[in-house]
Amino acid sequence: MSRDNDQMGSRSVRGLRMRAAAIGIVAVAVIGVGLYALHEHRQRSALLRADPDRLLADPSLTGFADSRGRSAYARHCASCHGADLAGIVARGSPNLKDSVWEYGFGELSDIENTILYGIRSGHPKSHNIADMPAFGRIGQLNDAEIKDVVEYVYSLSHRDADATAARRGYALFMDKGSCYDCHGADASGNIDYGAPDLTGKGWLYGGSRAVLYDSVYNGRHGLCPAWIGKLSYADIRALAVFIYDRSHRPEASR
Amino acid sequence: MKVDISHAHPRRSLALFALGALVGLALAGYGLFTAKGTRSHGVPPEALALVNQRPILRSDFMTQVQTQYSVRFADSTPAQRKRVLSDMIAEELMVQRGLDVDLPSYDPDVRQALVAGVELQLYADVLAQRPSDAELRSYYDAHRTKYVRDGVMQLRDLVVPAPGSSAPQAVQALRGGRPLDAVMMQYGLTDSRRLLDSGHVDLGDVFDFAARTRLDPAVFAAASPLMSGEISAPIQAADGTHIVVMVKRILPVQREFAEVSNEVWRDISEDAKHRVAAANLHYLRSKADIQLADDAIRLDETK
Repeated sequence: MSRDNDQMGSRSVRGLRMRAAAIGIVAVAVIGVGLYALHEHRQRSALLRADPDRLLADPSLTGFADSRGRSAYARHCASCHGADLAGIVARGSPNLKDSVWEYGFGELSDIENTILYGIRSGHPKSHNIADMPAFGRIGQLNDAEIKDVVEYVYSLSHRDADATAARRGYALFMDKGSCYDCHGADASGNIDYGAPDLTGKGWLYGGSRAVLYDSVYNGRHGLCPAWIGKLSYADIRALAVFIYDRSHRPEASR
Repeated sequence: MKVDISHAHPRRSLALFALGALVGLALAGYGLFTAKGTRSHGVPPEALALVNQRPILRSDFMTQVQTQYSVRFADSTPAQRKRVLSDMIAEELMVQRGLDVDLPSYDPDVRQALVAGVELQLYADVLAQRPSDAELRSYYDAHRTKYVRDGVMQLRDLVVPAPGSSAPQAVQALRGGRPLDAVMMQYGLTDSRRLLDSGHVDLGDVFDFAARTRLDPAVFAAASPLMSGEISAPIQAADGTHIVVMVKRILPVQREFAEVSNEVWRDISEDAKHRVAAANLHYLRSKADIQLADDAIRLDETK
């Protein structure tokens, strides 16, 4: 009888120890998760509170932003801009790892602003000053005139252009077409309007004569969604840091 | 000393329960006596300031500094930043004040701006769409009558005195080439004065759209196909029998697709905007609690 009681007693003690061990493990796990969440929260706060210049000089913050930004990019941006950030010419989505920027100077704050509010996204703060008009469709330029304008733009980056047609095209560029109004008299573009540089530094939709004709005839209306309210502010800043970093690396390592 | 924790200790349970209740009460009391409305604790990291709980985003602040002073944010001075933050806080305060005094409920400019802002957001997708050439052509074919260059008519709209039994004879006389004034005098015809222009009968050219609005619909329908010099048959209109003498007629011209493709594009967008606006209004009405007075129910177009 007393042996049975001893056995029951030792089983009960073992059970209690097991329970205590389980509670201990759960407590350690909860504390660990809590500490991790606290660390994450602190990192996110530091990322958001840092001035852009200070942030970019802080390896721990850029490292944190890079891993978050890479993951957010893969989920939300790669489908349009490509997994390698090189853009997709067929969709007119820009290359994000070169030094050509349609809006702003490519500063961290410029990139962040574009991600937040988008381009022609319908958000009142989005970039939406001008569209590339459909000069052919609206009849402002006829077929021959569009070809001349195309030849002029083509001549800015190609030596095999027809010089006579390009001269006529330049006159149209500066007068009837009013192209200079957005793209500038030297065709170098305007970052306030998002008017691209036409001198061959980079092409959104491609730089062949056929594509240029399509752009002038049908116009362009590129879009980028506004991510405010869809992504957290920390993710948006991390994305901006990620893109800034890739676009400001030496060319070979992009 | 060995403690048997397998046994219940009512006093210990009671003490723990009381401790928990006290901690809860203390937390609630702290919250109650320190809360300022639903004030959140501190400024969230994405914001530079909270103005009555409305955040001023760091990103907006940086953009504003760059825009206002045309400098890179990194190159802006503390004074510039201070000025911009102060202006942004002032703006937020003024906006909040406007809402506090319920400006949108009575200021027509604010209401108009709000409506325009909401519409712009609604139409963003519509404006972003560019129909293909095939869609443009299809719309043009389905709405050809919209793309007609208006015709021009110069006419006399004559009214036969009641009873209008002399109308066929008057028409016959006019078609026979007798002078208009003579026929008018013989049969007592008078000008309908529908084409009054500055108090006089307009004997000049009138665009079809203007004639349509001024003439009786039956008279306009009879006049439209007449060519220059033709006389209509007697026309039974609401105000009596009319005879139209078409002095000069230039028929409407169907405009070619290539000429109007831009208008077609605009019209497609307008139609889409109307559809979106109607759908949005339908949705908003379905969500809203709109009560109508008894005598207003018959005025509600949705009923």
